[in-house]
Formats: sequence, C-alpha cells, structure tokens
Amino acid sequence: MSLSPTPQHEKGPALSELPWYRRLNLLNTTLLIFLLAVIFSGSQIEGNERDLDILKNLGRFLSEFFPPDLTVLKSTGSALIETVEIAILATFFAIIISLIIALGAAQTIGPTWLVFSMRMLLNIIRTIPSLIWAVIAVAAMGANALAGVAALTLYSTGYLGKFFSEAFESVDMKVARSLRGIGADPLQSFQYGIWPHAKPLIWSHCIWMLEYNIRSASIIGYVGAGGLGLQLHAYQEFHQWDRFATVLCCILIVVTVLDFLSEHIRRRIARRDGTNDALSD
Amino acid sequence: MQDKKQEPVLSARGIGLQRGGRWLFRDLDLDLYSGEFLAIVGPSGVGKTTLLSCLCGMLEPSEGSVSFKLSGTSAQKPEDLRSHFGIVYQELQLIPNADLLTNVLCGRLGRYHSLSTLLGFPKKLRQEAYRLLYELGVGENPHKWAKHMSGGEKQRVAAARVLFQKPKIYFADEPASSLDAYYAGRVLGLLRQEADEKAKPVLCVLHNAEHIQRFADIALSLNQNDPKAHKMRRVRPVNEEAEI
Repeated sequence: MSLSPTPQHEKGPALSELPWYRRLNLLNTTLLIFLLAVIFSGSQIEGNERDLDILKNLGRFLSEFFPPDLTVLKSTGSALIETVEIAILATFFAIIISLIIALGAAQTIGPTWLVFSMRMLLNIIRTIPSLIWAVIAVAAMGANALAGVAALTLYSTGYLGKFFSEAFESVDMKVARSLRGIGADPLQSFQYGIWPHAKPLIWSHCIWMLEYNIRSASIIGYVGAGGLGLQLHAYQEFHQWDRFATVLCCILIVVTVLDFLSEHIRRRIARRDGTNDALSD
Repeated sequence: MQDKKQEPVLSARGIGLQRGGRWLFRDLDLDLYSGEFLAIVGPSGVGKTTLLSCLCGMLEPSEGSVSFKLSGTSAQKPEDLRSHFGIVYQELQLIPNADLLTNVLCGRLGRYHSLSTLLGFPKKLRQEAYRLLYELGVGENPHKWAKHMSGGEKQRVAAARVLFQKPKIYFADEPASSLDAYYAGRVLGLLRQEADEKAKPVLCVLHNAEHIQRFADIALSLNQNDPKAHKMRRVRPVNEEAEI
C-alpha cells in the first residue's frame, strides 16, 4: 500500500463542513422537539382566572395542620404496621413472580418470542398506576388489606420484572458458556455462572422496591385497599387536618428511615459486589 | 508413551479456520495419543487460541473434523464429551462473585445432576478442592471472592479447577502466563504429571521456550504468513522419562 500523499494543491485539501441536516442526530432532534414542546405547553396551560393570593391560601391551609393531634397516634401506629405488612408481602410475591418472568424476558437467556411477549406483558403492567391497580383489586376482592397486597404485587411485578431481566442481561455470559463447555447443564450454568453475578443487583432492586412499596402502600388506602391511606382519606373527608398531620409525620419518619437504610444497604452491596469497581478496592 | 497400534485419543483431519476472509490455519492433521503433552506455539495473533477452541469443540472449524476416542465412553463428538474436557481458558472465566472454593468445585459440575448441586457441593468434595487450592498456594483464604484476587492467583485457581475436575483430556490456553517461575513450573508440572501418571493427553498453548522444552512432548507451531505451513516437531523422544 502506498502512503505517498497527493495534495490537491499546495495548501493541502480544503476542509468540507457538514451540511446542517447532517448534524441533526437523534439527540439534537429530540432536544429541539422538547424545547418546541415547552414553548407550546407554556402557552396552553392556564391557572384560575381569579387573582388569588396563593401564599396566603397555603399558609392558612398549613396552619390547620398544627399542632398535630397525637391522640390518634395509637390507631395510626397499627395502620402503619398494616401498611408495612402489605408492602412486605407484596414485595415478596412480586419477587417470586418477577424472577420467573425475568428469566423469559432476558435476551441472553430466553428465546426471542418469549422475550418479546414477556416484555410486552411487563410494559402493560407498568402502564397502569398503583392506584388504578388498587381500584381494580378492591373491586375484585373488596376493601381490605389483601386487595392492597394484590394491587402492589401486580404493580411491583411490572418494575421488578424489568429490573431483574436487565440484571440478567448485564451478566457477562462467557462464564456461563465456559461452564457449559466443561459439561454443566443449563440450570447449573445459570446457578453458578449467572446467578452469583446478578444476585447483588437483584437484591438491591428488591430493597428499593420494598421501600417504594411502603410509600405506595400508604396511598392505596385512599381507594380502600387498607393501610394508612384509609385513615388519611377519612381525616381529609372530615377536614381533621391536625390528625392528618400526625399520619403524615408518621409516614415521613418511616419513609425517611427506610430511605436511609435502603440507600446504605444498597451501597454496601454494590461495593462488596464491585458493581462499582472504583469503590470496591 | 506413543504406540502406533494404539488409537489416537484426539484425531483432527484437515481442519482449517477462516476468519475475516483470511485463513488462520489450513489442512491441519493431528493425532494425539494418551499421555502425550502437545504444546501449541507461535507468535501472538497467529491463531493458537482459535486452534485450541476448534480442537475442544468450543468453535466449529471452517473445514475438517475433530473426533475423540476417550476411555470409558463411546461418544466421539466434542458436544457429547463436555464433562470429560478440562479447559483452562485464556481469560480464565472464573466466577467473579463466587469464592475460590466454589470456583474450584465448579470444575466437577458436569459430573453431577443439577438437582444434586442445587444446594451446593458435598463436604468431602469441598475438602478435596481446598487441598488443591492449598497445594497451589492460594489456600490462605478459600472464602474470598475470585474477583478480589490478583491475576496470578486467579490463574492458579483456574488450574486448581481443571485439576479438580479430573477430566480425560486437558486443553489449557497459556495456563502459566501470569505466574512466577515457581508456580509456572508447579502448574505445568502437575499437567505433565497427569500425562505421565494417568496417561491423559494435554494440549497446551505455550509461549515460553524453556517450558516447551521442559514439559512438552510435541510442539505444533503455527505460521503467521502461511496457514498451511504449520510444523510438528517432537521435543522429547518417545518413552523418555519425564522430569518434573
């Protein structure tokens, strides 16, 4: 191959700039569409025509929260426990169902037709908000905590199924293939070649889901699916905002503690697992 | 060791592999008899690993065929003989998030049904696996995860895994490349011992000329410029006692 340069003229070849349409890659196009949408939406959305003093309204509303009525603390406590129980059971059932679905939904494990159908199923489940799942569950099972468990199980499955399948896909399949190379059967190569690598990520998602479900479980009571939401709904209906405040404080404390704990645990898992290798050594 | 009346354990006929329009090797015939130690040699990128992969059935050659005649089984195709193949991969392929002991134990997965390994391996096997780790100088912390070990330590764990497997034939891709002189000699010596004492054939990609001289019976060298110009050379005369 000859490397001798053949310049067009003495100053060398002229740089040809890209035409404008060649710079419209996906990022630039979507960014442009988003900015246009912001301008359009801004001109469409309107508030109340009346001239309201928003800050004064907010101040008056919030002042009704104080002081919180602590006499309802006992009933709030038992509702809180029920909320946590709903979340724990829902997360547990969702983990089991999601593991099975995720095996089919992972491109590196399942056949194409199964991957496609499992992903469609997960997408459909995820499209429906938890509150709607709760309405459906209450309609089917009556207004009780079990309906809450069913609703959150379905809702969480949509997310965990997706996360788990992604966790499986993130595993380097070479180890599993190498185990097959020395005679391991498919189950063994999954158990020893894929599972150890996916497990920390999967457990981390489970903890996150539990934390998320405790939040959700305190809301779905609004439509009768048990837990704290039932109380919140009642106090709101009767304008007992001081009691409402007590319940809110309880949720705030529990969720903050859980958030801190889950973040801490998940970070530790990631560090030991070396998902983030920079942290591990 | 070699006895012409004896049937070869591994026999390759006219194998060749084409990659990206280029032949890495062609028209390669190979007969390997029990107890023979074959070193595959050649410059980097010549296709030694690819040849080893073709021979152990992990890669389908573009032409030609490989068949086996292992004791105690009538199967001849690599896919039916997997559990009898001991393979040390160049990239080792240890399970990073499993402890050293589990990594070694996984060598025997092919011998057990998945239900019997579902809850782990029997204690007796664990003891045996630990002894191998200990012999190769990585027994200090058998419960440490493989990913937290150094390159040389990982390579010794991979060697322990293949020896623990007790396969009928060994395929090792540079099993001593990250080891110091002592452990390189130890690992290759153990493979040599398998060939000498248990008459198991060993195919090994080697770089180090001293290792080839010391451990191999035959050296098969691949040529970078001409895919057909591979050469087979006997390093050690037939029946010479092995020095370990």
